[in-house]
Amino acid sequence: MVKLLKTPAAWPTILLERADAADPTDLDAASRAGAFDGLRRVIRNFGATATIATISGANLRGRGGAGFPAAVKWRTAATTDASRRYVVVNGYGADPATGTDAFLLERDPYAVIEGAAIVAFAIGATEAIIAVRADATEAIRRLGAAIGAGEEAGFIGFDAFGSGHDITVSVRPVQGAYMLGEETVLLKALEGKRGQPEQRPPHPAERGLFGMPTVVHNVQTVAAVPWIVRHGAEAFAAIGAPDSPGTILVQLRTPAGDGIAEVPMGAPLREIVALAGKLPAGRSLKAVLVGGPSGGLLPPDLLDTPYDFEPLRSAGAHIGSGSLVVADDRACVVDLARILTRFCAGEACGKTIPCRIGTRRLVEIADRMLDGRPRPTDTILLEDLSADIAASALCDHERLTTLPLLSGMRYFRSELDEHILRSACPAGVCHPIAVAAGAIP
Amino acid sequence: MSLVPGLGIAKGMALTLRRFFEPKVTVMYPEDRRDVPHKFRGRLQLLYDEWGTLKCETCFQCAQACPIECIDMGGMDTRGRFHVHWGAPETYGERREESALRRSGRTVPDPAYRPFAAVDMTALDKILDEYDRDPARMLAILEDTQAAYGYLPVAALKRISQLTGAWYAMIYGTASYYSHLRFEPAEATHQAAAVDAHRPSEGSYLSALDTALGGAKGGKKGAGSPARA
Repeated sequence: MVKLLKTPAAWPTILLERADAADPTDLDAASRAGAFDGLRRVIRNFGATATIATISGANLRGRGGAGFPAAVKWRTAATTDASRRYVVVNGYGADPATGTDAFLLERDPYAVIEGAAIVAFAIGATEAIIAVRADATEAIRRLGAAIGAGEEAGFIGFDAFGSGHDITVSVRPVQGAYMLGEETVLLKALEGKRGQPEQRPPHPAERGLFGMPTVVHNVQTVAAVPWIVRHGAEAFAAIGAPDSPGTILVQLRTPAGDGIAEVPMGAPLREIVALAGKLPAGRSLKAVLVGGPSGGLLPPDLLDTPYDFEPLRSAGAHIGSGSLVVADDRACVVDLARILTRFCAGEACGKTIPCRIGTRRLVEIADRMLDGRPRPTDTILLEDLSADIAASALCDHERLTTLPLLSGMRYFRSELDEHILRSACPAGVCHPIAVAAGAIP
Repeated sequence: MSLVPGLGIAKGMALTLRRFFEPKVTVMYPEDRRDVPHKFRGRLQLLYDEWGTLKCETCFQCAQACPIECIDMGGMDTRGRFHVHWGAPETYGERREESALRRSGRTVPDPAYRPFAAVDMTALDKILDEYDRDPARMLAILEDTQAAYGYLPVAALKRISQLTGAWYAMIYGTASYYSHLRFEPAEATHQAAAVDAHRPSEGSYLSALDTALGGAKGGKKGAGSPARA
C-alpha cells in the first residue's frame, strides 16, 4: 500500500479532501462530504459557459506535465463544430515509479468521476472515458462501483440530475506501453490502434478521439474541478503559485522513505523533499530527479526552485509524472542518467527518426562514457544531438528524454569529467575500464 | 547533317509545337485523383540522381511506415559510419534473392513458410459479436482473443480482419505494439525474451533505479510490476 505523507498544516488539501474516507465508494458518505455538489451546481445554476468562465478564472492548468490552461482546451472543444465530443481522463500513470494517479482514483473515485462529468457538461460531451492502467485493479474496481452508484442515484448517466443531458462515464483499462501516458497515444489506444503520437496542431481539443473534439486531462486536473466549482475560482486561484494555482500530487522516493503527498504548486523543492523525513545519518543529498524517467537531475543548490511548470523547465527539469527521486551520495549521477535515458529510449514508439535513432545514440554515448571508452568529442556530440532531437521532436517524450543527460551534464560536469578524462567514478558505482581516454579507438 | 539549311531547327520546333498542343497528363493530385485500385500505393522504386548516385538517404521512413513490413533495408548512414538495418535480420539476405526470383516469374519455395494453424473460431465469433464487430474496440477484441486462446493465432487475426473490416496489417500493427499481446503461446518464451532484450521492462527499470540509488530496496510498488504474463 502506498503511504500518504503528512504535510504541514498550512498546506491546503484539494485533491485528497476525502482521501481518508473509510469506504471511498460509499456514495452517501461522499455526498455528505460534498461529492456531486459541484456537478449539481454546474447543471442547475451555472450552465456550460459560466462553468468554463469559472475554470478560466481559477486559472487551472493541466497536471499532466505540460501545464496547458484547462479552460482554453474546454473552450476550443466546446466551440469546434462537431456531432460528438469526448472527455478522456488520463489515469494511465506511465511512470512505473509513480503511483499518484492510481492512488487518487483509489482514494477518491467520486472526485474524478464528478470532475469528468463537469467537463463533459461544460463542453457538451455525452461520453467521458477514464483510462486506467490495467494492473491497477483496485482503482478499476472502485471506479466501477462508484460509477454504478452514481448512475443509480441519477447523478450521471442518462438524464443527469434531470437536466436532459446524458453524461456517460466509463472506465477503460489500458496497458502494454509506456507511451500511453502521452495524450495522442492514449487516444490511439482508445481507438484500438497502434499507439503512436500524432502531429499537433490540430490538438485533440479540435480533432481527438475518432476525429471528434476531445478534452484530455490528467486525473488530478479533473479532480480539482469539483472543488473549484464548490469553493469558487478566487479561492482556488489564491492557493499555490500565482501563475499556476492549486495543488498537485507528488510521489517521493528517497533513502529516508517513500510516499505520496499533496503539495501546493510553487512550493520549494526543499520543503517537498523534507516531507519524506531526514536522510540517514552520514548521507547527504546529491541530486533530485524531478519528473520521472525523463526528468532532470537537479543539484542541492537548486533546492529552492519552486515546484512549478516554468521554474522547473528553466532549471532543466519538468513536473512530468510528479515524481521526485532523491539520490544521496552513494549514487553516480552519470549512471543514473544512463538508466533513465535507456528506459526512455527503449520505450520510444519509433514513429520519428530523432526519437527512434537519436535517443538510441544518446544511450550509446552514455554507455561509452561509463565504460571508460569515451571519445573526446562525446560531450559536444551529446549537446548537439540533444538539441537536434529536441528541435525536431514530434511529442514531448523525445524532447524530454534528453533531459537526464543534459541536466546531468549541466550541473554535475565535474563528475562527468572524472568519467571522461580519468575513467574514474567518484561515487564508486560504475567501473570504467582502467584505460586512458582515447586508448581504444 | 541535313542538306537543307534550317531544316533541323524547323524539325525541332515542329516537335515542340506538337508537344505544346498535346493533352497533358499531369494530375493536379490532391484536387484530382485518378481512379486507382483500393489498396494501390504506387510502385516501389529507388531513384537515382543525374550523377547516378542513389537518391535514397536511408532514412528508413518507408520501411518504418510499411504496415506489413514488406520493406526491409540496410546500408551505411550518410556519412559512411554505421551500417544500419531495418527489418528482421534473419530475413535480410534471403529476401533479395527471393525478390529476384519473383521478378523473373519463377515460384519461390520458402522454407520458412508454414501454413498457419487452424483454430476453433467459436470463441472468437462470440467475442466479435460481443463488441459488435466494431474495429474501434480492437484492443478489447484482441485482449479477449488472447484470453480465450492464450495468444493471438494468425487464423484468429485473419478472422477478425474479415469480420470487422479492418485491414490485417492494421490489426497486426496494433497487436505487435502492445507488450501484453503475444503471437505465440506463453510457453514459447523467445518472443518475450526478444522483447525484453530490446525493451527493458518496467520491473528491470525499477530495480536498476534502486541499485543506482544505493542498495536495492525492493517491494516498492506492487502495481509497478510488468504487465507481461
